[in-house]
Amino acid sequence: MPSQLNRLTVAGALLGLLCFGLTACKKPFADRDQKNPVYRHSSNGAPVSIDPASASTLYENEMVTTVYDQLFEYRYLARPYELKPRLAASLPEASADGLTYTIRLKKGIRFADDPCFPDGKGREVVAADFIYSIKRVFDPKNLPQGEWVWRGKIKGLDEWKAAGSDYAQPVEGLKALDDHTIQITLNAPFPQLTYTLAMGYSSVVPREAVEYYGKEFALNPVGSGPYKLDSFSTRRAVFVRNENYREEYFDLEQEGYDPATQAWTGVEELQGKRLPIMDRVEYYFMQESMTRWNSLNKGNEIHFGGIPVELTHMVADQLKPLKLKPEYAEKFTGMNQPDFGFVYLPINMADPRIGHHPDPEQDRKNLLLRKAIRSAFDWDQRNERFYNNIGIIFPGIIPPGLDAHDPDLPRHYVTADYEQGRRYLEEGGWTAETLPELTYGGVASVQNMQLFEQFRGWMEKIGYPREKIVLKTYATFGDYNRAVRNKELTFVSGGWGLDYPDSENVLQLFYGPNKSPGSNASNYDNPEYNALFQKTKPMQPGPERTKLYRRMNEIILEDVPTIAGLTRNSTAIWHKNVIILPSRNPHGSLLKYIYLKPKTEEADD
Amino acid sequence: METLQYTIRKLIYSIPLLFGVTLIAFTLMVYFGPDLTDSILGKNPTAEQIADVRSELGYDAPFFVRYFMFLKEVVTFDFGSSMSSGEDVRSILARTVPVSFAVALPAFILSNLLGVGLALLAAYHRGGFWDKFVMVFAVVGMSVSYLMIVIAFQIIFSTSYGLNWFPVQGWIDPPPDYPDATFFEIAYYYWYNYWLYVTVPTLASIFVALGYNTRFFRAVIVEELNRDYVRTARAYGIGNGTIMLKHVLKNALIPIATRIIISLPFVIIAGNLLLEKFFGIPGVGLVTYDAITNGDLPVVKAVVTSTAILYVFALILTDIAYKVIDPRITYSK
Repeated sequence: MPSQLNRLTVAGALLGLLCFGLTACKKPFADRDQKNPVYRHSSNGAPVSIDPASASTLYENEMVTTVYDQLFEYRYLARPYELKPRLAASLPEASADGLTYTIRLKKGIRFADDPCFPDGKGREVVAADFIYSIKRVFDPKNLPQGEWVWRGKIKGLDEWKAAGSDYAQPVEGLKALDDHTIQITLNAPFPQLTYTLAMGYSSVVPREAVEYYGKEFALNPVGSGPYKLDSFSTRRAVFVRNENYREEYFDLEQEGYDPATQAWTGVEELQGKRLPIMDRVEYYFMQESMTRWNSLNKGNEIHFGGIPVELTHMVADQLKPLKLKPEYAEKFTGMNQPDFGFVYLPINMADPRIGHHPDPEQDRKNLLLRKAIRSAFDWDQRNERFYNNIGIIFPGIIPPGLDAHDPDLPRHYVTADYEQGRRYLEEGGWTAETLPELTYGGVASVQNMQLFEQFRGWMEKIGYPREKIVLKTYATFGDYNRAVRNKELTFVSGGWGLDYPDSENVLQLFYGPNKSPGSNASNYDNPEYNALFQKTKPMQPGPERTKLYRRMNEIILEDVPTIAGLTRNSTAIWHKNVIILPSRNPHGSLLKYIYLKPKTEEADD
Repeated sequence: METLQYTIRKLIYSIPLLFGVTLIAFTLMVYFGPDLTDSILGKNPTAEQIADVRSELGYDAPFFVRYFMFLKEVVTFDFGSSMSSGEDVRSILARTVPVSFAVALPAFILSNLLGVGLALLAAYHRGGFWDKFVMVFAVVGMSVSYLMIVIAFQIIFSTSYGLNWFPVQGWIDPPPDYPDATFFEIAYYYWYNYWLYVTVPTLASIFVALGYNTRFFRAVIVEELNRDYVRTARAYGIGNGTIMLKHVLKNALIPIATRIIISLPFVIIAGNLLLEKFFGIPGVGLVTYDAITNGDLPVVKAVVTSTAILYVFALILTDIAYKVIDPRITYSK
C-alpha cells in the first residue's frame, strides 16, 4: 500500500509540474517593448449585429454608438440627462409650429478609412448620408428594428416604404438643403424627435460600406465615431482609435460635471484630454457572472465588471450605497448603477376574466380583483430576494429621473397588504370557486420560476387557490414575445428599457392603439387615457404637460392594468486606475471617455 | 479493394439516410424550432411589419419549397447568411469549428488514452486496490455535475483564490505586429498561448470524460480477460504485460474503436457550450446555442447537417476500422 500511495504522489506531482512548467515558460515577446496600454471592458451580454438599423439590444447599441456618430448625444456627466450636439454643429432649430427641424452638421467630419471607399480613405460625412441612413431603417430588407421610432412621424417616410423602399426616390420630410444642412419635416409635432436622433438607430452610415459589404455589413461597421472595429467574435469586440476622428477634447463643464457628487470618480483628471482617450479597447462579452468576476479579480484581465449576486456579501460591506470590504476597496472602485427603465407586471386587459368587461358589474368585480392582486404584490420582498435590495421602488409607471415622476404618490400602491387584498376580493364577491385561472408567462429559466413561485405565494396569502395560478414558460424570448403578442397570457413578466428621458416613452406602453402586437402588452384601451396621450403628444416639456402626464399615471394606478414598478440597480466595479462614471442607456457607448492610468503592472500586460 | 468497394457502397447507401435525416431535422426545425420573427421585431411592431419580417425570412413560403431550398443548400453546402448577423454561415463555421476542435482534441486524445490505460490497470487488478481506486475516481468524475467541475477547475487553476496559473478566459490573439519577429518566435507565441488557454478546459474535460471512458473500457477488457485464450496464453507462460497489451487489448479494440470513432463528430463540430461560455472560447458550441435560442435557422441547419454527414462518415470509418483491427472480418454484400 505505501508504494501505491507513493506512485499516486508521484503522479500528482507530475501533473503539478506539467502545469507549473507551462506557466513558468518565458512569455512570448517578453523581451520586446510592450505597446500602449489596453483598456478591457466587459458586459454581461453579447451583441449579434452592429448594423444600426437592426441593432436593438443594450449591447448592440453600445457597439453601434462606439463606431458610429449620431447627430446628438448625451452629456457624459449631466444628471438628469441632457443632449449636446455630436455630428450636428448645434441643437436643432425648430419652426414655430414644431413641424420643421433644421440641423446643421459639423464640417470636415470624415468616415474612418476603409476598403469600401476609393483608395481606402474615408470621405466627409454629408447630409445625404443621414437621409440614406434613416431610409435604411424603413427598408424591410434590412430587418430593421428601429422603424417604430419614426413610424408615422416623418412626412412621406411610411409612404416611401409602402412604395417599395426605393432609395432613388426622395422622402418629402427628409431633405439635404446642402451638404451640411438637414431639414426634417414632420406630420405632426413630435417633441421627442431630438432624443431619437441620439439613438443608435439614427447612426450615420456610408452607402459605400453597405454596398461593399452587403449582408456582412452588420459585422463590418464603417462610421465616423471615435473607434473602428478591429475584430469581432462571440466573446469580444476589439476597437482601435479611428485616426480620422475629429479633434475633440474633454471639457468638464460641457459634460455637466458636478464636483459634489462626481469628484470621487476622478474625472477631473480627464480635463483637456483628447478623445478618445485610449488607443485600443477590448470589449468582452461575459454572460457568466462568476467568470466575469474571476477575470476582474485576477487583476490582469478585464478592468471593468460586476459583482455576482451570490458574492455580494463577500465583496461588499454594504450595498446602499456601495461600500466594498477593505481588501477589495484597495483594488476596486464601484457604484450602484441604476437601469434606465423598470420592471413591471402588465395584466392582460383584453382578457374579460380579469380585464375590462362590457358588463359594468363584472367590470367592477374585475377591477377589485386586479386591486387585490396588487395589494398582495410585495415589491419590498422582490427587491430583497432578487435585486439585492438596491432597486428603487416607485408607484405607477413613471420612474424617478423622468420629468413627470411624482415622488409624493402614496406608497400603498407598492406596499403589500394581504388583509386589504382579501377585503377587495370579498367586496367583489370573489370566492375560491369563482376566481379565474390566471397564466403567468416567462422565458424558461430558474429565475423566472422563482419569480413565479414568489408571486404565487403572495396570491395564496389573499386566498387565491394555488392551482389557479399557472406558469407558462417559453424556450426563447422570441417564443415568449409571440405569446404576448397573441394575448395568450394573463400576466406578462416584463421590463422596459427607456429609449430617451421623456415620460412619453413609458406612457405609450398603455396607449390603446399600441396594444398587441405593439408595445402595449396590457392591451389597455381607456378612452380617457388615450385622449390625454393624444393631447400631450405635440406638447413641449413644461408644467402643463407634466400635469397631464401625472394624471395619466394616476389613471394607471386607479385602473390597475399593471403592477408597477421597480427600477433595478446593478453593481458596477472597476480597477482603481480606471477613470469612468458608468451609465447605460440613454448614453450608449462611453468608451471614448474611459481612461486607464498607465501606472500599474496591469497596464503593461 | 474490398474495403474501397465497401466504402463506395456505404456512401451510396448513405444518400437516402442523409435525405431522411435532413427531412426529419428540417421538419423539427420548422415546426418546433424557434421563430426569429418575434426576436427581431422592434419594440412596437405592427401586423404589417410582422408580415414584412416573415416574408423577408422566407417563413411564408410553403413547407416543401423551403425543404427543397434546404436540400439545395445541403448539396452545395451553401447555407447563406446568418439571419442575425448577416455573416456567411460557411465563414462562421470556418472561424469557429477549428477553435472548438483545438479545444476538444487534447481532451479527446488524453481521456481516451488514459481511459484505456486506467481500464487495463483496473481490469488487471480486478477487485484489488487499483481497481477500486480507479472505479471510485471514475464514479466521482461521472457523478459530479460538469458545471461544478468547470467552475471548480477555473477557480483552482485560474483565479486569485486558487493557484492563479492560467487565464480565467480568453483565446489566442493574433501575434503582436513586430516586423522583425522570427518564424520561431511566432510559432512559440502560438504554442505558448494555445496551451495557456486550453489546459484548464482540457483538464476539466478529461476529469469528466475519463470516468465514462474508463468504466466502459474496463467492462470490455474484463470480458476479454474471461475468455479461454487468455487462460491458454497464461498456461503457455506468456507474460502478463504481453497478454494485456498484445492479446486482450487487441481483441477489445473493436468496441473501444467504435466508441471513439462515433464520438468524433462531436469533437469536430459540436463544440462544448459550457467550456466555451465559462472560458470565453469563441467556438462553434456557443454559436450553435445562440443560433438555436435566436432562431437563426441557417446556422442551425448548417450545424445539424454537418453533424449528420460526419456521423455517416464516422459509421463508415468504424466499419473500415474493424477490418484494420481484425483482418478476418469480411464485408457482406
